[in-house]
Amino acid sequence: MKPFRVAAVTLGLALAGALAAGAAEIVVWHAYRAEEKEAFEKVVAQYNASPAAKGNRVTTLAVPYDAFADKITAAVPRGKGPDIFIYAQDRLGGWIEAGNTVDPIDFFLDKATRDRFIPTTLEAVTYKGTVYGLPLNYKVITMIYNKKLVTTPPKTSGELVAVAGKLTNQKAGRFGLAYSYADFYYHACLMNGFGGGVFDAKGRPTLNSPQNVQSMQLLMKWFEKDRILPAEPSTALITSLFNEGKAAIVFSGPWFLGEIAKGVDYGLALLPTLDEAGGKPMRPWMTVEGVFIATPSKNKDAAYEFARYLTDLPAAKVLAIEGRQTPSNKGVYNDPQVAKDSVLQAFRKQVDVAVPMPNLAEMTMVWSPATTAMNTLTKKAATPQAALDAAQKKVEADIAGLRKRS
Amino acid sequence: MRKTRPQGFRFFVGLAVASALAIGLAYALLAGERRQTESARDQRLAVVRLRALTEAVEISTAPGETGLQPLLIEWKARLKDSPPARVIVTQGIRLEASTFPQDVGEKAAPRRLAREEKPLFDQAARLRAAVETNRSEGAQRVEEIEVARTPSGGLGLAAPIEKEGAVVGMVQMETVSVAHAAHPNRAVALLYFAAPVALFVLLSGVAGERKWLLALLAAVLLVGALARYTQHSRTVLESDQRGLVTAVAGEIRVQAAALPGILAAVSAPPGIHPETWDSDLFRRPRGIVSADGSVSEESLRGVIDSSAVPVEKAIAGVGILALAVLSFLGFGGAAHLWATLRKHREAYVYITPAMLGMIVLVFFPFLYGVAISFTDQTIYTTSKPLTEIWTGLTNYAQILGDFHMARRAADGALVFNYLNFYWTFFFTVVWTVSNVTIGVSVGLLLALILNTPGLALRPVYRVLLILPWAVPNYITALIWKGMFHQQFGVINQMIQIFGGQPVSWFEKPFSSFVTALATNGWLSFPFMMVISLGALQSIPAEIYEAARVEGATRWQQFKAITLPSLKPALIPAIIISVVWTFNMFNIIFLVTEGEPASSTEILITQAYKFAFQKYRYGYAAAYSVVIFLILLVYGTVQNRATRATEAI
Amino acid sequence: MARSRREETVPHWLLHAVLIVVTLIAVYPILWVLTIAFSGKQSLALVDLPAVPTAADRLRAVVPWPDHPNATNFVSVMKDQPFARWLVNGAIVALATTVLGIFLACTAGYAFSRFRFPGRRAGLMSFLVSQMFPGVLTLIPLYIILVKWLGLGSTRTGLVLVYTTTAIPFCVWMLKGYFDTIPKDLEEAALIDGASAPTIFLRIVLPLAKPAIAVTALFCFLTGWNEFILAATLMDKENMYTAPVGLRFFVGGFSQQWGYFAAGAIIVSIPVVALFFYLQKYLVSGLTAGGVKG
Repeated sequence: MKPFRVAAVTLGLALAGALAAGAAEIVVWHAYRAEEKEAFEKVVAQYNASPAAKGNRVTTLAVPYDAFADKITAAVPRGKGPDIFIYAQDRLGGWIEAGNTVDPIDFFLDKATRDRFIPTTLEAVTYKGTVYGLPLNYKVITMIYNKKLVTTPPKTSGELVAVAGKLTNQKAGRFGLAYSYADFYYHACLMNGFGGGVFDAKGRPTLNSPQNVQSMQLLMKWFEKDRILPAEPSTALITSLFNEGKAAIVFSGPWFLGEIAKGVDYGLALLPTLDEAGGKPMRPWMTVEGVFIATPSKNKDAAYEFARYLTDLPAAKVLAIEGRQTPSNKGVYNDPQVAKDSVLQAFRKQVDVAVPMPNLAEMTMVWSPATTAMNTLTKKAATPQAALDAAQKKVEADIAGLRKRS
Repeated sequence: MRKTRPQGFRFFVGLAVASALAIGLAYALLAGERRQTESARDQRLAVVRLRALTEAVEISTAPGETGLQPLLIEWKARLKDSPPARVIVTQGIRLEASTFPQDVGEKAAPRRLAREEKPLFDQAARLRAAVETNRSEGAQRVEEIEVARTPSGGLGLAAPIEKEGAVVGMVQMETVSVAHAAHPNRAVALLYFAAPVALFVLLSGVAGERKWLLALLAAVLLVGALARYTQHSRTVLESDQRGLVTAVAGEIRVQAAALPGILAAVSAPPGIHPETWDSDLFRRPRGIVSADGSVSEESLRGVIDSSAVPVEKAIAGVGILALAVLSFLGFGGAAHLWATLRKHREAYVYITPAMLGMIVLVFFPFLYGVAISFTDQTIYTTSKPLTEIWTGLTNYAQILGDFHMARRAADGALVFNYLNFYWTFFFTVVWTVSNVTIGVSVGLLLALILNTPGLALRPVYRVLLILPWAVPNYITALIWKGMFHQQFGVINQMIQIFGGQPVSWFEKPFSSFVTALATNGWLSFPFMMVISLGALQSIPAEIYEAARVEGATRWQQFKAITLPSLKPALIPAIIISVVWTFNMFNIIFLVTEGEPASSTEILITQAYKFAFQKYRYGYAAAYSVVIFLILLVYGTVQNRATRATEAI
Repeated sequence: MARSRREETVPHWLLHAVLIVVTLIAVYPILWVLTIAFSGKQSLALVDLPAVPTAADRLRAVVPWPDHPNATNFVSVMKDQPFARWLVNGAIVALATTVLGIFLACTAGYAFSRFRFPGRRAGLMSFLVSQMFPGVLTLIPLYIILVKWLGLGSTRTGLVLVYTTTAIPFCVWMLKGYFDTIPKDLEEAALIDGASAPTIFLRIVLPLAKPAIAVTALFCFLTGWNEFILAATLMDKENMYTAPVGLRFFVGGFSQQWGYFAAGAIIVSIPVVALFFYLQKYLVSGLTAGGVKG
């Protein structure tokens, strides 16, 4: 009986406290799992216990990533969603255009808050000149190498080919370099490195720009002439190759570290610069998890206060150290504990040259034609120019189809 | 059976109900239309004021010390009944000027917006984005004037302020609600309802008990009354429209007369454009009222004529409905329906629970999808009512009218356009037929073997063989994909054990298709096996014995006994698995991903792409309806051929 | 029925040979799932070959077997999240779906088989037709109906209702077909004896239809047990999720933890196999001639 009574009393107190403060419940949806989730929930618990909460209570719901976007699209505009949801910026444009989903926060955003972020991460959650969320964490691809096989990581593409070439034995299934190069997301680091991209400043597609063609030519040189890459590189294959010591260097992001088997000694380094592009760095795409406030939320003020807390230094430190995430808060990287963490610092360095992935609604139309282009290219069924011309035509037609009404 | 009522009485009741329905609905339509005109009037008058004030704000350059406040005060003072207005400037989140009663004392403009005023700032930012979006896309997609009902029943409006081509803020105003009582004349409606019924009573005596004559009489009276009422509605609506335009023109004259004085009072330069004030929500002038406030009769006529069309169409629909009701009641359909329901009460009771669930949770969403398919709904227009984006059969015409199936490449080789509907359709049929053939033949064969009496270890086989169905296919499909990997897949390893050359499975359409086929075949045979096992139990063993006694071979027994007995269970299972395979999204999505070059896309994966990658919901819905119709034709034909709905 | 076997039947060794080959094919990919699950790693297994592989090397490579078999993946799956809770939730939902589905499908299927009434063909076709419309755009209207209109958001009832309506079209057809094969003489005899229609249905027809009901039950259970997207969309509490939702946490987005997913998939499959094991006695002991006459 006793524990029950104690529980009842605490519950009663909590309720009384909540009522006294006129407190609101702030519901947050996210897609974190394992240590990311634990760190996130720890921050939430700290907030709930702190005076900053002003008696408000934050509760969380984890949603599997594969269902998350659908759930938001179904629930939020109907007023059945959370007050806050945390999602990558790539769907932002679509939700804004559909309406009644994401609330702009320019109004709340003061200079001090604005200045706490790595500038490009804030740019990622800005749509048509309006800021729609606070950037929480970012994810970028960097170079991950097996220390047993590679002693000094290559700094230029020339060195990369030299190092990788030595470590490759195609027949035995050993590769100097392995990454999901046929996946357009991964290819973007080459594309952006050459100064290419998907949209111009006015949002028109530029898939077949000369820079994009050059980037594909370089990829095909690595694949066909230098022969340092495996065929049909699915992410599962890359993981397996690296874990079994059959891939010396991979290009991948923080998620990959969790998949590396115990006992594989790995290091991180900046993606090499491109000799072929006049020594410019490879520039991966950056995805940013934004803290977005739902338009139908009744507690936007309180929700924003929590979003600010979540992106502030103490929270960022927990997310970085315990959640193994890379926060958008730039101050956290000066924290002594974070400063000596080589993994976090490696991503921090990489993000300086990263490009925010476009958040336009039209971005979803790019993936499928771009994937087809990558596949026809790597199956040697088309030249880079022809593959990209076809993709450009397709994307132009799809955008015209979407916008045809006036 | 039951005593039949006289024909005349039935048609009397039929006509009374149909007439009440027709005139009642037409009355409601008219009333709705009048209400709409009324609210359009409120809105257009308010827009004229808003545009006039916005123009004045835009002209007042360099507001100086006092800012825009004097302008707003002057405007409100000189124009009687002016609604309160605000000017919001986005730079610095400022309330530049306000004549709202609450913005006085401590809260007087100019000042920074308070926290609870976030919606005002967001609205200004939204209008800026709207103007910029329309400019950069070269289309009128997002409304540049926002209008919404206020809780008190008035209108809240906002328009962007432009300075040197850039939006710097907005003018916002709130009108109070004006009570209107513009009901259509009820007596007229009552007359048009009663007249045909009364006439019918008078004339039906002449027609006697001749069914067709009575029907004709009732129909003529009904249609005649409705036609007259339509004419009446037209006149009412026309006078409403004229009243609206007169009011708008009057407001423009008032504003145009007052503004020069107001501008002079705040020492701003003159130069107003009253002809642009009566505009739509994209700030495009309607061109009905000119700068001096005169009305162009020609444009007005055009507006009146085009606004009458939808009403007349709707009334025609009402007429058809009423005629249907008339004939249903008049020819005794209702009595018959009631009798049927009573007679087969038991059967309907058995079916109702299942049917109810299906109607609410399956057919409702389905009808919604069908409705969407006639519109041009995209991610941009999800919040608009369907009538506004109605495009009729355009989507279908686009899907079915595209015959670009192949083209000649520069070197003369034939390049297939795999994304073409007909190509995808062809591939979907190939995919379905091959899958179901494999599933059914393997499943049936295994069931027959497992049904062999006395065969050892049958329970073990059975359990092992349903495993492909039991394990979540998300992982097994990906295992299959991995097995087909060019270098690391076990299939190519096995080929090499036997001395063959490794195959690059996902490079050519055919081999890519084979990978998906193998995966789906593997996933689907256990289902067919279980169905067949169940069905085999319905065959009494004695029949086989009798057949054997008569010297039938095993093959003869299979053909003459087993297959026919399996038919009732197997045919529905086959039809349903054809339908499922036709729409088998997962496997294609996980295994081939449509590669190479979309050659292994099936119709459903295309529909999915239109909905979720290209955000064209209307088009995707039309695609889905086409898929549905194809399957419906198949189902009907198959059903006719095998008489599956009938008992054997 | 076991008595009457004949010399001309196919020899059993041949049947075994066929069965073994097919069973190997059926089980092979699942052995890979097991291999990954017991590998203790998160990556898919790879063939490990020397530069110049012999046939024996390749043969060893295609045999699914983990290098260092261990159960850590299973332990992590069960311990690091409330997977047991999700399994229980899933079982409740799937069993309720099964019960409700069988009830609705039996009544409707029986009416379609035994009664002749206007609208019968149309009704039967409408069940089939419901399967034909692609579900691409139905999530949002379904959400509106269930959550906004019926107020069944985040309830098991809502899920059960949707799953049941998904499963019954097939079940109605299946049962209707099976009822058709049950001779009517029995029911007519009972009718003469003065039994009421519900009694005949419950006491005579249903027991005879056990094989079809077993199939239907398995089908309903699987429909509710494996569904993911609706369960994740409708449930707003983590402790209300079902097992497939929990399973998908392992592979969403960038991160793909195949080891956990495989282990979870194995755990999720066990109840299905158990159910089938239980039901299969009905699949083989159905309508014998003796049964009908008795």
